[in-house]
Amino acid sequence: MEVAAPFPSVRWFDAVRDVFNNDDSYRGAGGGYCNCAAGIKIGDAIFVLTFEGQECARAVAADDAALDDVDFYLDMSAADWHEMVANIRDNGHADLHHTLNTLDLDREDGLATSHHGDQYREDLFFRYNQTLQFFFDASARVKTEFAR
Amino acid sequence: MAKKVKEAPAGPKVVHDAQRPPAGADGTDGTHEKRQYEPKYNWMNKSRQWGVRVRPGKAGLKLGDLNAGIYGEVPMHWQDQSRNPRGAVARRGMPPVGYTIRDKAGLWADCAADLYEEAIQRRWAPATDVPWETIDNLPSDVEHAVCQVCTELTGYANVDIEAVTGWQHQMSYGYHEVKQFLATASFDAARHHECFRKRALVNGGGLGLESPCQVNRMILESRGGWTEAVVYLYLMRGVFTMTLYKYLERYAHNDAERFIYGRALADKARHVTYGLDHLKFAVAHVEDQRQVLAILLAIGDGGFGRDLADPVLREALAIIFGGGIKGARRQGMDVYNDLMRDYVKTHLEYCSWLDVPRNPAAFPPALKEFAPPPAAAS
Repeated sequence: MEVAAPFPSVRWFDAVRDVFNNDDSYRGAGGGYCNCAAGIKIGDAIFVLTFEGQECARAVAADDAALDDVDFYLDMSAADWHEMVANIRDNGHADLHHTLNTLDLDREDGLATSHHGDQYREDLFFRYNQTLQFFFDASARVKTEFAR
Repeated sequence: MAKKVKEAPAGPKVVHDAQRPPAGADGTDGTHEKRQYEPKYNWMNKSRQWGVRVRPGKAGLKLGDLNAGIYGEVPMHWQDQSRNPRGAVARRGMPPVGYTIRDKAGLWADCAADLYEEAIQRRWAPATDVPWETIDNLPSDVEHAVCQVCTELTGYANVDIEAVTGWQHQMSYGYHEVKQFLATASFDAARHHECFRKRALVNGGGLGLESPCQVNRMILESRGGWTEAVVYLYLMRGVFTMTLYKYLERYAHNDAERFIYGRALADKARHVTYGLDHLKFAVAHVEDQRQVLAILLAIGDGGFGRDLADPVLREALAIIFGGGIKGARRQGMDVYNDLMRDYVKTHLEYCSWLDVPRNPAAFPPALKEFAPPPAAAS
């Protein structure tokens, strides 16, 4: 029986990576090749996802200093992240109100940001937006346990 | 019993015209006396660097990986005027082709090779990848608005194609990474032209009214060099188009539109990335380039302001964002204003990153109303 992975945790991201890296449908139709280090800030919890070539190679827990080195990071409250992941779980993918693009537009300061302010690196969020969306949509196939 | 082995045939007999006696001079038709061809293979010694062995990485064997040894030497000026591939041995006496862009500062971006790979590997096909079947009947006013916006975007894509291809053949072969990336950019634009036209014609609507085209004209009539065209094509129009795609995806009516705008956004982000990286390189290597860019942008603001004064695109977008004519006046225009503020903010951030001075107070009224307050802008 599948054991639920707690969100947020490295175990949860690894479970999503496993689904994402083994589904060829995420490679075509505008997905595929993706090279970036993306920070994920969930309230005070921070993770770094490393995308290399066609796969998400690593997910590690990190601290605030690590956000200096990532190309960009996605910053939302824990409640907003929970809502997004729950929406993906319930629909099989993000609905129109919970895509990364929508969440970015609906926030005063956007969803994607950086410490370095380097536009070239920040824009990787838009170049790889579909791959990042595919990654989080893959979480629909991971049994998730939300932290209380 | 073993088969009898046939004797190897002699090499090809070739006779050169200079060695051939005139027909009839020896009482024959001149074709029966042939000398055996003696290959020398001396071209095999012609390489500036031999023994190169590039290895593929996780993303395969990428264009940028090939920049090993002398093959990665990209000079600031490309002297050769022939089509000699970079790193090959030049053949003497080749007539010049007449490339006009031979300075690296006039086109280069360090990211071009990576962007080329990205474009190739992340390609998509409108005919089969877009879930066209998800498009259902829309209210007439909304369908009219969608078709009008698609008409505008089709025009933008066409300008992209013409602008890029109009300059590409003037770029020296030595900077092949940029030429190859731009080939993907023009193909991306062709894809955008295709899918917006398809969207306009797939649901009972049709193409609408042509846009006023002031910015189109500025892009196409840039005469000061490719860098100038990049200012208008990517830093001005490209960023605006990117912002449109973001909002259109946000307010998509079905999965097909969501797919189209989302993928077009990624393509356009790639184009803008090249533009920014090139302008950064040009600013770093050409004296007074910052000031030149600032003046070009100030001129461009005028054309863009006149385009924005035309109500057609604004009204069509407001109908889409407001869910119809009824919602266009309030909610639709609120979202349109957000879109314009986002565009101006992003554009100014890019200019700041490029260290190009901008003065929002001098923007034409159609743009100035969306500029951040002076404190925020600084």
